[in-house]
Amino acid sequence: MKKLRILLADDHIVMRSGLRALLDRHPNLEVVGETENGRETVALAASLKPDVVVMDVGMPILNGIEATQTIVTQCPTIAVVILSMHADESYVMRALKAGARGYLLKDSAAADLIGAIQAISQGKSFFSPKVSRILAEDYVRVLKQKGAVDTYDLLTSREREILQLLAEGKANKEVATALNISPYTVETHRGHILQKLNLHNSAELVLYAVRKGIIS
Amino acid sequence: MAEKQLDVRVASPIQDRRRFGSRGALFAGFGTLLTLMAIMSIDSLHTLQSFEAHNTQIRQDYLYREHTLEQVRTGVYESGDIMSDYTMIESDPHTLERLRTEIQSIRNETTALLKECIQSLPVDKRESFQHLAAELERYWSSVDPIFALRPTEKKVLGNSVQRSDVLSRYAEVLAITKTISAVNDDELRETDRRIAETFAQFRRRLLMFAVISIGFGLILATTTIVYAGRLEKRVKDKYEESLQAQRELKKLSKRLVEAEERERSAISRELHDEVGQSLTALLIDVENLTEMSSEEGAFRQGLQKIKMLAENCVNEVRNMALLLRPSMLDDLGLVAALDWQAREVSKRTGMLVDTVDENVSDNLPEEYKTCVYRIVQEALNNCSKHAYAKNVRVVVLQEPNHLRVSIEDDGKGFDTSRVRGLGLVGMNERVSQLGGLLKVESDPARGTHLRVDLPLPNASADSGELSS
Repeated sequence: MKKLRILLADDHIVMRSGLRALLDRHPNLEVVGETENGRETVALAASLKPDVVVMDVGMPILNGIEATQTIVTQCPTIAVVILSMHADESYVMRALKAGARGYLLKDSAAADLIGAIQAISQGKSFFSPKVSRILAEDYVRVLKQKGAVDTYDLLTSREREILQLLAEGKANKEVATALNISPYTVETHRGHILQKLNLHNSAELVLYAVRKGIIS
Repeated sequence: MAEKQLDVRVASPIQDRRRFGSRGALFAGFGTLLTLMAIMSIDSLHTLQSFEAHNTQIRQDYLYREHTLEQVRTGVYESGDIMSDYTMIESDPHTLERLRTEIQSIRNETTALLKECIQSLPVDKRESFQHLAAELERYWSSVDPIFALRPTEKKVLGNSVQRSDVLSRYAEVLAITKTISAVNDDELRETDRRIAETFAQFRRRLLMFAVISIGFGLILATTTIVYAGRLEKRVKDKYEESLQAQRELKKLSKRLVEAEERERSAISRELHDEVGQSLTALLIDVENLTEMSSEEGAFRQGLQKIKMLAENCVNEVRNMALLLRPSMLDDLGLVAALDWQAREVSKRTGMLVDTVDENVSDNLPEEYKTCVYRIVQEALNNCSKHAYAKNVRVVVLQEPNHLRVSIEDDGKGFDTSRVRGLGLVGMNERVSQLGGLLKVESDPARGTHLRVDLPLPNASADSGELSS
């Protein structure tokens, strides 16, 4: 099996060496480069074309989220997993909008990084369990405070099925194949789902799925 | 400090006294000037009035005397004519009788007129008229015998002594009237001269008054101008001083706010980047060790303990760093930071915080981001701590040249005219540093509405990347 080529981006050298030690122990993972700021990461990602970029958020010159946006726009094949100190919705949302497929908390990096890299390299999403938990708790709390109805109840079982597949990072076509329906039908369902849940784009849809614990 | 205050206290009564002194002098000066002018006008009016009355009286007296003299003269002339008629021409007894009556009435009339005139005159002026009256009386006495003559005797009369006596008396009376008339004229001229003199005197007095008034007024005006100028300068100096003090205070408070923000930011970064990251790296290393060691038991348990400790530390450090200054303000911009804050406050206090951020650019200048963030932070703090609000609505709106923030709660409100907490003062300070305006409306029935309007510099007016 071909080794997964990984680019490590973190301005903190101790952090980087720890992560590197972690990754080096896995035979099918290979760290091809290390960078310490956003701009360098963008440049190296463009020249090395790694499979996965492990990206820190708070980096000098260009922060990890903006770097992610640039990399994903330039080379959509590169999967980015964000490494962050924050389990906050703002960060998760921004990371998703920028095009990151995974969101990992640094304090659980050791346990989850390998799994996350493998998942996102296969086109799936990955979120630290703690992130999912916090987002879900926030969601429930706000619903309770506002006394609002959980919009998830409005979805049909087919829509829930499609929501999960889309949130996992599958394209319309893949969903269509998996459910044995036409891609147009999937698109129609997707529109209904966004409307019912009052969502506007795929990033929000993924975030919603994480909040609801549909994916993790 | 205390010494300085003492100095001021000692100096102030002297200054006060001086101020009262010059004010008193000014009052006295203006009072005198006004009195002078009032006296001058009253005197002028009075002089003119009395002069007018006097003049009229003199003219009337003159005319009256002239008229009397004229009457006397006419009477004498007429009597001459009548006498001629009587002696030369007439012989009809009736006509003669009528002439006699006429002459008698002329005599009575002139005598009465003269007498009346004499009585109206002052004693010292009576002499000439009395002389005239006596002469007239002699004249009439000389005339009387002629009318007593019988017709036959008349012809004999001819150029008799009697006739010549009458004629000489006649001439005498006329001469006296002329003399008196001349004297009268002289007197009038004399009066005119006296009036002119009085007038000249009056003019001199008026001139003197005017010169004194103008001179005094000039001195007073100069003094007033100098005094006012000095006052104005003092006020201006004081104003400049206070402006300077205000500017310095503003600069100082700006530096304070900046320094505080800088310090917080530095500490936050240090905590987050150095301590936090090191602890995280430590966690990863521990994890690595755990994976590498195959043995179970005490060693692994120890590692697990270290891991838990490190995790707790990471959380602590992260919370401290966020409290000092949220890294999302720098990493993700104002909108994300506000949303995070709203969620955190909701979580912590149970107060429902709703944020609406419209068109807010991610590339706002640093000081604007910080200002808005800190204001919302302070306001939310007030809402939960003092107002006991249940719902808060935070709206941030970016317009081409303005950034507007509105924070509305349904708490218990307060009296904006009396309550002015340090929090509000601090907010106001931050806002005014950016040239903005802070308005607070509060009503116990409806809660508090805080509005901030910040003018944006043109460079940052482009609302770059839109955020939901």
